[in-house]
Amino acid sequence: MDPSGIFSTSYRKDRQLVRTKWQVLALLAFLALLFLAPAYASPRIIAIGNVMLISAIVAVGLQICTGYAGQINMGQAAFMGVGAYTAGLLASKYQMSFILTIPLAGLSAAGFGFLFGLTAARIKGFYLALTTIAAQFIFHFTVLNLPSSWMGGSNGVTVPAATFFGIRIATENSQYYLILIYAIILIAGAFGIVRSRFGRAFIAVRDDDVAAGIMGINVARTKATAFLIGAFYAGVGGALWAYMIRFVGVDQFTLFNSIFFIAMIIVGGMGSITGALIGVFIIRMIQEIIATVGPNIAEAVPFLGGDIVFSSMNMFLGGVIALFMIVEPKGLMHRWNIIKSSYRIWPFPY
Amino acid sequence: MDFLNYVINGALIGLLYALIAMGFVVIYRASKVFNFAQGELVILGGFIVWYTSFELGLSLWLSIPISLVASALAGYLIERIFLTKLIGESVFSMVMVTIGLLIFLRGLILLVFGPAVRPFPIVFPLRPLFIGELLIPMNLLIGGGITIVCAVGLSWFFNKTRPGLRMTAVAEDHVVASSMGISVKHSIAAAWVIGAVLSTMGAIIFLSGKSLTFLASDIGFAALPVALFAGLESIGGLVLAGIIVGVAQGLATAYLDPIIGGSIGSVMPFIIMLGILLIRPTGLFGWRTIERV
Repeated sequence: MDPSGIFSTSYRKDRQLVRTKWQVLALLAFLALLFLAPAYASPRIIAIGNVMLISAIVAVGLQICTGYAGQINMGQAAFMGVGAYTAGLLASKYQMSFILTIPLAGLSAAGFGFLFGLTAARIKGFYLALTTIAAQFIFHFTVLNLPSSWMGGSNGVTVPAATFFGIRIATENSQYYLILIYAIILIAGAFGIVRSRFGRAFIAVRDDDVAAGIMGINVARTKATAFLIGAFYAGVGGALWAYMIRFVGVDQFTLFNSIFFIAMIIVGGMGSITGALIGVFIIRMIQEIIATVGPNIAEAVPFLGGDIVFSSMNMFLGGVIALFMIVEPKGLMHRWNIIKSSYRIWPFPY
Repeated sequence: MDFLNYVINGALIGLLYALIAMGFVVIYRASKVFNFAQGELVILGGFIVWYTSFELGLSLWLSIPISLVASALAGYLIERIFLTKLIGESVFSMVMVTIGLLIFLRGLILLVFGPAVRPFPIVFPLRPLFIGELLIPMNLLIGGGITIVCAVGLSWFFNKTRPGLRMTAVAEDHVVASSMGISVKHSIAAAWVIGAVLSTMGAIIFLSGKSLTFLASDIGFAALPVALFAGLESIGGLVLAGIIVGVAQGLATAYLDPIIGGSIGSVMPFIIMLGILLIRPTGLFGWRTIERV
């Protein structure tokens, strides 16, 4: 809802994402804050920021697939892994530049995702959830059982640093700019996708796929497209991950990670790109806090054992998913929208 | 003779899977919730048995009934805390809550009991049964019998008795069931109690005389293909589906593993599961539903 006195006088204005002067200012200030981060933040903060930005790309992809098109996808980490392996292998075996490998990684993950999107044409609900869990297991099984000269098997793949006209992108700060630029392009693209013809088809299919089919939407193709786009984002995120960690292993992309991505969009709010970003920020923050505080608690209370970080991470993740599904199934973004509309129309109730 | 041995052992393991899968099906059959946390319920039951028999030092005659009651209570509590509020919600919420529950329980069990390997009481005789050259593990043989008894009993309960039919109506549709005057709440609570008790029985058969760690919960995922193959609403079908999946797994382990290598035997159930999902998602005996707008 717009503040009072702001009206859209044309269709173009109605579709605008940034609607008021203050929103333009706030967006520019936020971007400046992001771009200048290395100047005021410590390398540790920047490293956390890198992980957050990559997660943001992957979670936004999942938001399009699950939040907008309503297709439960529990294989997002596997799709990310496909991207990471593609980029890692192309970079280490064929010395390709990251300018090529990152889009190729996205495409190969998109292809893998598309395969599972095709199954979504026939099945839905938790049958689909099971199939995407199977994607996760297939990914693991394939990587570990193929000859280790192909994909490194359980040893993983070491990835050379990305180089840009002779500059090695190996420090936290340079990686930060690489990831930030990709994140901005992809997230801006996501805002475009969801308000385009495809995005409207996604929402129609999510709300009721039988009704959407009657209205003339090709439901099977829409579902497959949703998986394709979601997996593309995951693939690009995976490629950036490969360049950041400089090592790709199968243990980095487990079902547990997939569920973390789902938790992010649940906490932020289903069906909102901004919500996905908020969810990423909150979940990654708390993860970081648990990882930092956990060892201290383990030292102070020794009988709990050394597994406290892992087990409390589990309890946090499971608890937060269940809590949000029960108490606030529409996520924080929904709560924020209520607050926003109530202060905009203040002092009137509606 | 080897062949017969593989078939019989495979079938018995399949029956164990069927017992675990019965937990899924009972909960689904009475509440329309697909419980991903079944494997966690199994180890929860296992840890309760371990606690009552080793830590408290009770004899098995006491500890097993107490464990069954305790796990029934745990099932009821889980339902109260996590699922009562979700009646009539979307499939996505249900799936995510049970996945949240899976991860939460795993963390809780790890936090309370730790990653240490624990002994599990020997409930069934360790000596296998010899018939000629056939070698049949005692726990699986008795377990197979229990599975068949449970399957017959529960499918009679759900298809013939009034409370069972009431729960079946809940599985059809929450809103319709409650408008017919059926308490959806009670039905779901009863389902979780039965599901938790079945999981504990599964844990006793599976773990008898073995060691217990939190990794044993993987059997929950191994039982998934059986539940899907039978169709999520069919309890009697579980026996057949369990035997087919178990035999396929046993034969694959025996004859395909030496050729292909890797662990094709352990993946076999999942290959079957993918096939079912793609060809006939409702399984052998599941309900076919017609969708309306």
